[in-house]
Amino acid sequence: MIDLSSSVKEQVENFLSYEGELLDERKFDAWLDLLADDVRYWMPLVRNFQHDKPEMEYTREQCDAAWFDEDKKTLAQRVRQITGGDHWAEEPLSRTTHMTTNVRIDGIAGDELTVKCRFLIYVNRRDTEIRLFAGKRVDILRRNGSSFLVRKRSIFLDQTTLLAKNLTTFF
Amino acid sequence: MESTAIGKLVDGHTGLVSRSIFSDQQIFEEEAQRVFAKSWLFVGHESQIPNKGDYFVSQAGREPVVVVRDEDGQVQVLLNVCTHRGMPVCRYDRGNAKRFTCAYHAWTFATNGDLVGVPLSKEGYGNRLVREQWGLIKAKVTRYYGSIWATFDAAAAPFEASLGDMALMLRDFLQAPDGEDDGLEAIEGIFKFRIPSNWKFGAENYAGDLYHSVSHNSVQRIGISESGKSGRHTWDADPSTFRILNVAYPAGGHAARVSLYDDEARGYQSQWAQSPEADEYFRAAHYARQKRLGSRSRLLNRGGIVFPNMAYNAAGRSTIAIWVPLAPNLTEVWKWYFVPKNAPQAVKDVLRHYLLRYGGPPGMVEQDDIENWASAQVGAESVVARPLPMNYALRLGGGKWAWPEPWLGAGAYVDEDWSEHSQRVFYAHWAEMMGGERQFRAEEQPA
Repeated sequence: MIDLSSSVKEQVENFLSYEGELLDERKFDAWLDLLADDVRYWMPLVRNFQHDKPEMEYTREQCDAAWFDEDKKTLAQRVRQITGGDHWAEEPLSRTTHMTTNVRIDGIAGDELTVKCRFLIYVNRRDTEIRLFAGKRVDILRRNGSSFLVRKRSIFLDQTTLLAKNLTTFF
Repeated sequence: MESTAIGKLVDGHTGLVSRSIFSDQQIFEEEAQRVFAKSWLFVGHESQIPNKGDYFVSQAGREPVVVVRDEDGQVQVLLNVCTHRGMPVCRYDRGNAKRFTCAYHAWTFATNGDLVGVPLSKEGYGNRLVREQWGLIKAKVTRYYGSIWATFDAAAAPFEASLGDMALMLRDFLQAPDGEDDGLEAIEGIFKFRIPSNWKFGAENYAGDLYHSVSHNSVQRIGISESGKSGRHTWDADPSTFRILNVAYPAGGHAARVSLYDDEARGYQSQWAQSPEADEYFRAAHYARQKRLGSRSRLLNRGGIVFPNMAYNAAGRSTIAIWVPLAPNLTEVWKWYFVPKNAPQAVKDVLRHYLLRYGGPPGMVEQDDIENWASAQVGAESVVARPLPMNYALRLGGGKWAWPEPWLGAGAYVDEDWSEHSQRVFYAHWAEMMGGERQFRAEEQPA
């Protein structure tokens, strides 16, 4: 990845775009290389909650159910499953377009940056099936030379009932 | 269509099932009346509502319900519909409440469903509104080893009667690995997702479709079990010999997929080697269960279905799914995950991670099932294919009653190996409820 950007924010945006590109171009192994070995990748379930109990909106990390609660080993397993040609939920492979926007650096601590963004992911499966995933993401990125590694990704999908039959896409 | 005509769309003895039962709108509406409204339906688990006032919303078939522990500690299943003008009275997925107040006109109901508040009660209704007649519609409720079942059919037979000999399997599923009754607790959070297919494709799969092994080649290749060996099931790591049985219970349409081990006194074989703490827990549980259950500990309950729409997986993968029929070609799935309530937290964590990797839309196993069920709907809706029935004829005529062990129950109708036996029983019972004749009956019931 050539990086002509100068500001830290531009570097972060460039990194997030590159990540999405790799997924959309199905370069899953290259995408895995952008994840830290101690990466945590988590997407809670979402609930309708009473206004004064906002802590009820998302299931709790490392405790409750979740759409995803992954580490590098299990993400690598998922990549090996998708790329084997025998995972019928992704064979033939779907078409995806990952978009990240509203990127903002929320904090910097040592060599780690907390980055918030919004995502919109479009998936077209086989012929007419469309999955649209919109939501918020909080990433912790770790400096890695002139680039970054994803150390933690928290994904907050704006759906209580999943309006798709499968989650075969990386976020 | 006449109900008797619908009842003839399934021939359990030839394994031929009309495609129309998966696609016809009129049959779908009849099914809501004849099958779902007449059946006991799983709605949740007591561990979700430990305290008075605790509630969560659920589905009894297409009917929205609130499952709540009322002020007296009783579990109530209330239709989530205001008796005044129809709006859901509970709009949160879970919580704790003393009252449910409708946001439309503020009719207010106690947690046992009683109508306790009506604005303008005196000025507008002249105190003539008989509150006893306008409480929330209450389901009949049965608590069964922690699981909660409901029906709105006042004439329904008791839950245990509808379960029949399937009680053996359901009770076993709800036990902890050491054989202790009511041994599970729900992991917080219900998965909800939609599949563009008829609900019966998922249901019959859980009843007993071992034939679809090819679907799961990819996850077998990767290996997600915690045994450290290939495959997706922990029991694959156990070299002890067993028979695969498809145990169907035709009287109620239920079925379980089980392994019956040959040796009652077989030793524990490591199945959770990736986690020494889990392996130790399951080792101790194995021997405790043998001691508690004796010869019945030969049974490894892999999963099954309580007719019509409660599907469970067992054997280290304790989950319950219910199929909510929204349209002939659209099903909403609600899914609960369970861990043994008395297991150490570290073991619960290992199990939770395994479950999250296994089932539902993110599950490395079930993704392929979901793709199948949605794809099968294409064939269900094909006009050209309509004269050709769906084929469930694998291993016809192999069923034996109360076999190979009488303790499976006089009502157990069993076939071995890869067979569509249990699916035939499932559809035969569906057809019976839709107005057809009983198709499988034990010739002589032991006294």
